[in-house]
Amino acid sequence: MKITDEVRISDNGFVFNSRTGDSFNVNPTGLELTKLIAQGHDFDTIKNMFLEKYDLDDLTFEKDFYEFIALIKHHQITSHEDPLDFK
Amino acid sequence: MEKLKYDKPSISKINAGMPSKFGLPVKQKIISEIDGIKVSTLMEEYGSPLFVISEKTIRETHAEAKRAFETRYPKVQFAWSYKTNYLDAVCSIYHEEGSWAEVVSGFEFEKALSNGVHGSQILFNGPDKSKADLRMAIEHNACIHIDHFDELYLLIETSREMKMKARVAIRVNMDAGIYPIWDRFGFNYENGDAWNAINRIMLAESLELIGLHTHIGTYIMVQSAYAIAASKLANLYMAIHRKFDYWLKYIDLGGGFASKNTLKGAYMPGNETCPSFDDYAEAISNALISSEIPHENLPILFLETGRALIDDAGYLLTTVIANKRLNNGRRSMVIDAGVNLLFTSFWYNLGVYPTRELEHAEESTIYGPLCMNIDVIRDAIVFPQVKTGEQLVIERVGAYNITQSMQFITYRPNVILIDNDGKTQIIRKKESLETFKNSEINPKRN
Repeated sequence: MKITDEVRISDNGFVFNSRTGDSFNVNPTGLELTKLIAQGHDFDTIKNMFLEKYDLDDLTFEKDFYEFIALIKHHQITSHEDPLDFK
Repeated sequence: MEKLKYDKPSISKINAGMPSKFGLPVKQKIISEIDGIKVSTLMEEYGSPLFVISEKTIRETHAEAKRAFETRYPKVQFAWSYKTNYLDAVCSIYHEEGSWAEVVSGFEFEKALSNGVHGSQILFNGPDKSKADLRMAIEHNACIHIDHFDELYLLIETSREMKMKARVAIRVNMDAGIYPIWDRFGFNYENGDAWNAINRIMLAESLELIGLHTHIGTYIMVQSAYAIAASKLANLYMAIHRKFDYWLKYIDLGGGFASKNTLKGAYMPGNETCPSFDDYAEAISNALISSEIPHENLPILFLETGRALIDDAGYLLTTVIANKRLNNGRRSMVIDAGVNLLFTSFWYNLGVYPTRELEHAEESTIYGPLCMNIDVIRDAIVFPQVKTGEQLVIERVGAYNITQSMQFITYRPNVILIDNDGKTQIIRKKESLETFKNSEINPKRN
């Protein structure tokens, strides 16, 4: 999974997708996640970074992570080569 | 190092150029307590889901309606509409406030009697009155509101057999400017059916005509319809006097006043668009007082309003079971109260509220727990992020939901009353396996 080439993300959480013309706001944790995905980190690395930084348990993170991933995929912010897996 | 507070990651689409037609979004309403008792305390003690009835709201709303009518019309009598909510504890409050009983079946008639209502203070409506029901009504000297000619003749036959006089009124349907016209109940005014029925009753020695009744519809949002209905009944009232030199005792305008719930498809919320009790009272009282009825012979005005009196007093407390994303990206959640408990969710956009400040509101769908596709409590509501176990409150569910609730898949929940002193008590117990074992019979097989 990678952030599509047409998507630009500002440091204050504004996301613009020039392919669809849609723009979005992401909250700070959403922005952090998006940036980590853009940097190519895998799920386990991102999870460990979040668990270390935030007052959070692993199951809550996992639920929220995959919900967020599904949403940004729906908005065509990311593209997946393999629809069954997140790598 | 101390860990930072975690916020669920969220993303929201910006819809530039499409401002809300209602202006900027308002602050999310929160219901954290009912009559001073925390929602969490109630759910801890009585479980979830949980119906809560507020005695204070019942009495205050009733007082408001009474004041609206009694300050405008000299003789007013409310009759509690049993079908709206016939829990004994609820009916008893209305009877304490002076309401008679308005019933529509033999079962409701028996319930009213068991609540201590004198038979002569029961108005018996409805299209389904068996011979046994009519016998019971005649024996108790109730006011029988005749719905159709077959009932009229059955009543003549029954009262003759009993050698007793039945006190009756007729139900009149009419064009009151509300469409479609509710013409399936009672006798029509415009085509002369009502007048024919009146004449037949006046000829029957075993019947005593004492009133005229109409119920023009439900959730009537224009008070002028009641003015038209009151005028037409006043015309009949005077016609009876002119022909038979006889004054009836009452005119009954039925119910149908709108509650503050919002109908599906309505442009504005119900609490901003529905007439107040004052509006209805003004329309009805003016029509009767300005009719040709002499003031000294004005009839008693009966009102059978149910929905507008009790809807605000009922709450359903519920818990979030799950959050889901639908395949179109829309957020949805599953709560533990379904449409089997919330019959009114089929025509209202019920108000669903969190019990505490929550963030990241987005358009969501709220599903109930039933394994049925129709189990949708709200198909589109802007709602904040909630976790499983979050407690929510659904307001304005006092009317019809408890009486029309259906046992399905699981047990129906406790219903509690918060009394005037702020004390809580169960007024209908949660169902259990025993509830069903007691009424089911499983035939033995070889």
